[in-house]
Amino acid sequence: MIETIPELTTVLQEGTLTDPQAAAALGVGLAALGAGYAERGIGAAAVGAMAEDEDLFVNGLILTVLPETIVILALVVVFLV
Amino acid sequence: MSTSGTSNPEYVNARVRARRAALFSDEEYRKLVRMSPAEIARRMEETEYETEINALGSRHSGVDLIEYALNRNLAKHFDDLLGFSEGQIYDLIARYLRKFDAWNAKTIIRGLYVGTTREEIETDLILAGEFNDRMIQRLLEAQTIEDVVTILQGTIFGAGLGAAYADYEETGLLVPLENAIDRAFYEHLLGDLPRSEPVQLYREFLVAEIDFRNARNALRLARSGADLDPAAYYIDGGELFRPSELNMLVQSPDELVTHLRESKYARDLSAVLDDLETADSLIAFERGLEKALLAYSKRLGNVYPMSVCPVVAYILAKEREVENIRAIARGREAGLSQSEIEEELVIL
Repeated sequence: MIETIPELTTVLQEGTLTDPQAAAALGVGLAALGAGYAERGIGAAAVGAMAEDEDLFVNGLILTVLPETIVILALVVVFLV
Repeated sequence: MSTSGTSNPEYVNARVRARRAALFSDEEYRKLVRMSPAEIARRMEETEYETEINALGSRHSGVDLIEYALNRNLAKHFDDLLGFSEGQIYDLIARYLRKFDAWNAKTIIRGLYVGTTREEIETDLILAGEFNDRMIQRLLEAQTIEDVVTILQGTIFGAGLGAAYADYEETGLLVPLENAIDRAFYEHLLGDLPRSEPVQLYREFLVAEIDFRNARNALRLARSGADLDPAAYYIDGGELFRPSELNMLVQSPDELVTHLRESKYARDLSAVLDDLETADSLIAFERGLEKALLAYSKRLGNVYPMSVCPVVAYILAKEREVENIRAIARGREAGLSQSEIEEELVIL
């Protein structure tokens, strides 16, 4: 994994992904994928907690959308390039 | 609801944690110890057990009411567990909860053997296992033990029971049938567990339970001095004893204690073993074993939060709660003193 990173950077510099906007778009997409995966687990747990106690709805909702912040941060990159 | 497909440990764990929080605390127990059975029933009506106490209140009273309400509540919670878990975690939970299937099958067979009525058998069942209502109804409607064995074909108990039924017909004793059920349960408990770290620890927990059970049986046999064959009570799958060792150790309780001291459970058990040597009390030792198991499962649950471990910790804690409340109610009914009842409790 580690030893392939220099090669990867050369590919990124010289190879196919030279368009900064494309790279930014890819970054946002990957961040969204990560957020979705995190929300899957949190959402399942939140619904489980709500099923036991309905008062936990607000807490569950907040905790479920927390990973969404990573997508918003990734979106900053789009405006920078 | 099935063993295939993806697992949902997050959902199951969230629900289990909420239910764990609803268990009685040790202060609650201290209050209960001072109450009469009727007061305990009233106190239970204000907690978790409200629905069950209300549903059964018209038909039973006193300690029976408490006992049936406890069983029914236990069954409800464990049935829920199986209902909302999926995939691998369902398989792991069902393995352990099948012990209630084994219990129910044995209760029905015993009931038929001594000729109790269907209603009486039904009240003694704990519907917490994997058998669904239809299966239980069919088992209850069975007229003979042979029918029960036929109905159980296709479940995990089927294969062993078929062979044991021949023995039963020859001897007229229930022991072969009951042994076959127990054996099927323990074989499936440890058979092809998936390989991952939490599951390996779960396996260790199950092995510890089998080891403790063997240790308890051995000690009981050693104390009673009865001329029984220890091998007949030996449960396979443990790592603490081999069957041949057990035969030898039953002869002398001191060697048995030394064997336990040298085992890998020495650290968890050293306090109770000291007690056993000085106070000579078997009750304290048995409670100590249960406490050690409970503490171990709880620790596992904290180390691996998103696995089957917290669920097992909950199942064990719930079982202990039911046993504790039952012990309090029965103890009060029999007029035991407070300290005597407290000795019977397993509180972490």
